[in-house]
Amino acid sequence: MTSAPGLPLEAGDGAALVARGAAVVSREELRRRSDELAERLRQEGIGRVMVVSDDPVDVLRAIDACARAGADLWVAHTNLPGAMVEELSREFRVQLQIGAQDEARSVAAPTADTEPATDGDGAPQARIFMMTSGTTGRPKVATHTLGSLLAKVRTSASVSANREGRWLLTYQPTGFAGVQVMLTAALSHGLIVVPEERSPQGFFEAARRWEVAQISGTPTFWRSFLMATPPGALELRQITLGGEAVDQATLDRLKERFPTARITHIYASTEAGVVFAVHDGLEGFPKSWLEQPVQGVELRLRDDLLQIKTPNAMQGYLTEAAQPLLEGGWVATADRCEIVGDRVRILGRQDSTINVGGSKVYPLAIEGFLLGLPGVVEAKVYAVPNPISGALVGADVVLAPGSEPSEAKKAILARCRAELATYQVPRVFRVVDAIQVGTSGKKG
Amino acid sequence: MEKQEILSAIQKLVADILEQKGLDVVTLDASTELLGGELGIDSLDLATLVRELEETTGRDPFSEGFIEFRTAGELADLYVR
Repeated sequence: MTSAPGLPLEAGDGAALVARGAAVVSREELRRRSDELAERLRQEGIGRVMVVSDDPVDVLRAIDACARAGADLWVAHTNLPGAMVEELSREFRVQLQIGAQDEARSVAAPTADTEPATDGDGAPQARIFMMTSGTTGRPKVATHTLGSLLAKVRTSASVSANREGRWLLTYQPTGFAGVQVMLTAALSHGLIVVPEERSPQGFFEAARRWEVAQISGTPTFWRSFLMATPPGALELRQITLGGEAVDQATLDRLKERFPTARITHIYASTEAGVVFAVHDGLEGFPKSWLEQPVQGVELRLRDDLLQIKTPNAMQGYLTEAAQPLLEGGWVATADRCEIVGDRVRILGRQDSTINVGGSKVYPLAIEGFLLGLPGVVEAKVYAVPNPISGALVGADVVLAPGSEPSEAKKAILARCRAELATYQVPRVFRVVDAIQVGTSGKKG
Repeated sequence: MEKQEILSAIQKLVADILEQKGLDVVTLDASTELLGGELGIDSLDLATLVRELEETTGRDPFSEGFIEFRTAGELADLYVR
């Protein structure tokens, strides 16, 4: 390719692309605003842009304009401290910051080693740098191109299966998953619905107002959404879960509440992109996938940890890698798995393992168990340091409305003692109103 | 808290643990060995007991590292102000 492609937004196409509250931005409006920005980038010779905004319109116009003008784009989370954004801007010699107002920045000219990469024909290929959602320290920055991001979206099947879909944006618009949803809507002539308030009620109100039929979110998002959504209030066609391993109880509850929706859980990482999608309503993935490539991806277990080999892998890190690359193009994940019958279950991240007197406890497995008990709508399992055993299992649980806390606690603990190993039983147990959720939509 | 108060707290917490395990509640005194087999609690129960004592007394005698104890009395001593 000699010309960098943009998004398929036609002038004269008045279809709505982004909706927030009662306001909509159409595809042609985004095209017009993106044209203006691309023109400015070309005229002023701007090659390095950063977008810091939670408005999908800003993120999409930055992605489109930069791709067409051949400018590199950094997508920064809005919850980064201001000083960190400033530091990253300086370091990457950002010349224009996109947000509610676009601000030019004065910087020295880029040095040779920071010039954009070129494709096979020597034409510049603009890069998109995306940041991990780590909550502490400097974010890790992964390198993509619009072409590679679009390729991932096209192969994810969401595009073909959901033409003109109405997508609720549950993810941060600046994160990998949020950008995926926005690009899916852009490619499939869909609508991106943005909640006015990022709360379970706010998500439900937005979904109802715009008759959303497609929602992609973390399992944690879905459990809170189930609490806020009355039965029969929404007719969903596509339910997608990602970002965290999903447990069977959550899949079952979604199936019960939205019986006609297709339920998909995806395994993705910043490094490898979307690795695989599972549609059969069961947690984990079929064991047979370890033996033959599936969806173009090879999977294997080494020391019970999942390793993946995918043609969609990102192009590298600008900062140090979060996941090591192995020989032969394999990526080592920190996700621990176990084989149960003909299924591979994901137990959770290795670094979240709780060591109770030498016995390993996987919080995700215990959360899945708790979520399968009657009256439990959300659960968070964590390590409580202990001088005798090193650690004990702690659990915070949200109960369904109408449950009596002390009786429910007794019943839940009795089931734990009867069905879990003694070291797996939560020794610190709290009934709470809500469980803290990070901006990434995962349990904090 | 006085040692006797703490011993009573230990007695109550141990009784709760035993009841949850469906075992007979045993009366203990300062010389009762916690993991000696008389009580029927295991090391994880003991870990739980220590955690709950911290909540009851507001003190964590193990914050600087593990301190050895065998009997209920020795454990109670750690929490005496």
